[in-house]
Amino acid sequence: MKAKTIGIAFFVLILLSLAIFLQLLIRTEKKAVIKDLYSKGDHIVSLLSLHSIKDFEGAKRDLLINTLMHSDLHKGIAYCFIHDQNGKPLVSLDLNPIASEIPYNIQVNSLAAMGLVHQFFKPIESNINIYEFAKPIFEKGEKTGTVRVGFKPPPISILSAERISFIGVIAFFILAAIVLSYYGFVKAFKPLENFLTGILGPADSSSTNLKNSSRSFGIEPMMQDCRKSITELKGRLDEVETQNKDLSCRLGVMRFEKNQASHILNSINLGIIVTDIHENVGFINDYMLNLLKKKQSDVIDSPLEQVIKDEKFSALISQQQGFNNPAADHHFDISFPNLAPENTYQVSYNYLTDDNKALIGKLIIFYNTTREKEAAQAINDFTAHVAHELMTPLTTIKSYSEMLMDGEILDVATQKEFYNIINGETDRLSRLIKDLLNLSQIEMGSLSLNAGRVKSDWLFEGCLEAVAGAARKKNISILKRLPDNFPTLIGDKELLKGAIINILGNAVKYTPENGQVEFELSEDDNRVVFDITDTGYGISNEDLSRIFDKFYRSSNPNIASQQGTGLGLAITSQIISLHGGEIKVESKIDKGTHFTVKIPKREDYLGEK
Amino acid sequence: MAKNKKILIIDDEAYIRRVLELKLKNRGYEVLTAANGEEGFSAIESQQPEVVISDIMMPKLDGKTLCEKTNPIKKKRRFLTIIVTARINPEERDWIAQMQDTIFMEKPFSPNKIVDAIEKYLKGRE
Repeated sequence: MKAKTIGIAFFVLILLSLAIFLQLLIRTEKKAVIKDLYSKGDHIVSLLSLHSIKDFEGAKRDLLINTLMHSDLHKGIAYCFIHDQNGKPLVSLDLNPIASEIPYNIQVNSLAAMGLVHQFFKPIESNINIYEFAKPIFEKGEKTGTVRVGFKPPPISILSAERISFIGVIAFFILAAIVLSYYGFVKAFKPLENFLTGILGPADSSSTNLKNSSRSFGIEPMMQDCRKSITELKGRLDEVETQNKDLSCRLGVMRFEKNQASHILNSINLGIIVTDIHENVGFINDYMLNLLKKKQSDVIDSPLEQVIKDEKFSALISQQQGFNNPAADHHFDISFPNLAPENTYQVSYNYLTDDNKALIGKLIIFYNTTREKEAAQAINDFTAHVAHELMTPLTTIKSYSEMLMDGEILDVATQKEFYNIINGETDRLSRLIKDLLNLSQIEMGSLSLNAGRVKSDWLFEGCLEAVAGAARKKNISILKRLPDNFPTLIGDKELLKGAIINILGNAVKYTPENGQVEFELSEDDNRVVFDITDTGYGISNEDLSRIFDKFYRSSNPNIASQQGTGLGLAITSQIISLHGGEIKVESKIDKGTHFTVKIPKREDYLGEK
Repeated sequence: MAKNKKILIIDDEAYIRRVLELKLKNRGYEVLTAANGEEGFSAIESQQPEVVISDIMMPKLDGKTLCEKTNPIKKKRRFLTIIVTARINPEERDWIAQMQDTIFMEKPFSPNKIVDAIEKYLKGRE
C-alpha cells in the first residue's frame, strides 16, 4: 500500500520536474531571442544614425527600404521612423499593421537623452510587446534627427517538434535513471543485508525473516534490521567500553608501577645508566645526573662517551669481548678526576639482550666505594698501627734481655735499670692488649658490666689522678669544678673511669705545653655530667664526624704525631652508650675542644648486661 | 775494624734508641741518635753516617718518606739504611727493593742481627 503511494508520489514528482524544466527552457529561449533582438536593434539603429538626415530624403529613402527589406535584418522589424529635429517624419515605414498604433509623442519625450534608448511598450488591444530602439542623428556636433526602430519579438512555440523530441529524450533519460537507481539501490543494499544477517547470526530466528524479506527488500525490514544491529552494536559498544575501562585501569596500574620502579631507581644509592646497542644513553637515574651535574634532557639519546667524558672509562666500558663470555670480568674501579676526584667508583656492567639473546644494550651501575676503600684502608692502617704498638714494647723486651743474656751489661745498676725497663714494657704491652680485647668484646657484645654503685667524686678524683703526671710534664693546669653534693650512679666503675680518662687524657695530650684543661662534674636531670674543656689544637669539622669511629686517627700533624691506637674514643663512646648515656663534642681549630658526657644515675638505664 | 764508622739511629722510642746505642758503642762505632724523621734527615745531611737505622712509623717524617728523600743522596755518597718495621707487606717489600742499599728488619729485632747486617755491609764496601 505504502509502496503504491510512494509510486504515485514519484510519478507526480517526475511530472512536476518536467514542467519546471520546460518552463526554464522557454525562459532561456525567450532570453536568447530578446538578446538577439537587442543586438540586432543596436546594430540597425547605429547603422542608420551614421547617415546624414538628408540621406533619407528623395531617392535614398527607397534604397534604404530596399536594403532593409532584402536583408535578414528586417525580420521582426515592426516599424522604422526617421524624423528630423522638429519631429517631422522623413521616413515612416510600417512594415506591420501595428505601426499605425504607435503613439509618436511617447517616443519623442523618451528620446530627450542622448545615445541609444531601449524601451518596450504594448500597443493598444495587442498582446505583443514592441521593443523600440532609438538613436539621435548627429551632424557636425548637432542633433539633426532621430532614428527609431520597433521590433516585434518572434513567437516562441512551446510544442515545437524539435522541443518535443528534446523533452522525449530528457524523459527517457530520467526514466532510465530511475530504473537504474532502483536496481542500483537494491544491489547496494544487498551487502548490507548480508552484513545484517551476519550480525544477527545464523541461529537467530530473525535471520530467516531477513532472508525472506530480502526477496521483497524494502525500507521497513531494513529499518528493523538496522534497529537490531544498532542494539547489537550498542551491546558491543558497552562491552568495548567496559574493556576500555579495564584497560585504562591496567594502564594506570602499569604507569604507577613504572613510576614506582623509576622512583626506586632514582632513590637508590647507586648510579644507573642504560645504553642502547649504539652506546647511546636510554635511561639515567638521579644519582648519576647529580654526579654528572647534568639534566636528563641533555643526556638522553646522547652517546655515552659524550655524557661521561673520561678516556679510561670509555676504553673500559666499550670492550665488547665480554659479551657471550660469562667468565669475563664486568667490573672495574675508577675515579673521575673531573667530576668527583676524591671518590672511587666500582663500575659493573651487564649486557642486555632480547628474547633471541641478541645484544640490545648495556646496564651500567656505579657504586661509590670510597667509604669502603677508606674503611679498608683504616683497618689496614689500624692493623699496622696495632702491630707497631705491640711490637715496640716487644722489641724493647727482646733487645734488652738479649743484651743482659749476652753479658754486655756489666754495671749492676744498669742491669737493674734494664730489668725495670723490661718489666715496664711488659705492663705497657698488657695494657694495650687489654684495650684491644675490651673493644673487641664491646664490639662482639660479649662484655659483661660489673655494675654497682659508683660515687661520682671517686670517679672524678680517679680520672684526675690518672692524667696528673702527663699534665705536670707539659705544665698544663687542670681546673676543677665540683658540685656541692656528689651524686652516685649505677654502673661499671672501672669501665666508666677508663672511658672518662680517655677523654681527659686526650685533652692533656692534644693541648700544647702551658695550656689549661677544665674538668667539671655536675648533675642535670637525673644524670651525672662530666664536662672536659681544653685549650688544645681543636678538631676539624671533617675529623669531628669520625672521631668516634674505631681505628680513625686525624691527619692533623699535631694529633697524628702523638701516640695512640685510634681506639680510645671508640671504646669511650661504646662504654657510655652501654650505660645509656650520651657523649657530645664541639670544637674549634686552634681554640680547643669541649666534651660533655652525661650518664644516667638510675639502674634501669643499664643495659641487660 | 769498625772504628770511626758513624751510625745514626732514628726512632721515636727512647728505649730502643738507648739499647741500640749501647750495643753499637760496645762494638766501637760512633753513634748518633734522632727522635723523629725530620731530625734524622738533617743528621744524615750534616753528619754523613755510614749506616742509618730507622723506624718506619714515626712522627713528623715517617721512615718511608725519609728513605725516598735520602735515596738521591746515595748516588753521591753510599750508605746503608736499615728499616725496622713491625709488619712488612708486599708493597713495602717492593718499594724497599727499589731503594738503593736499603734492607729491612722486622720487629721484634735482635740487636745482634743488626750488628751482623752492619758488619756485612761495611765488609762488602771494603
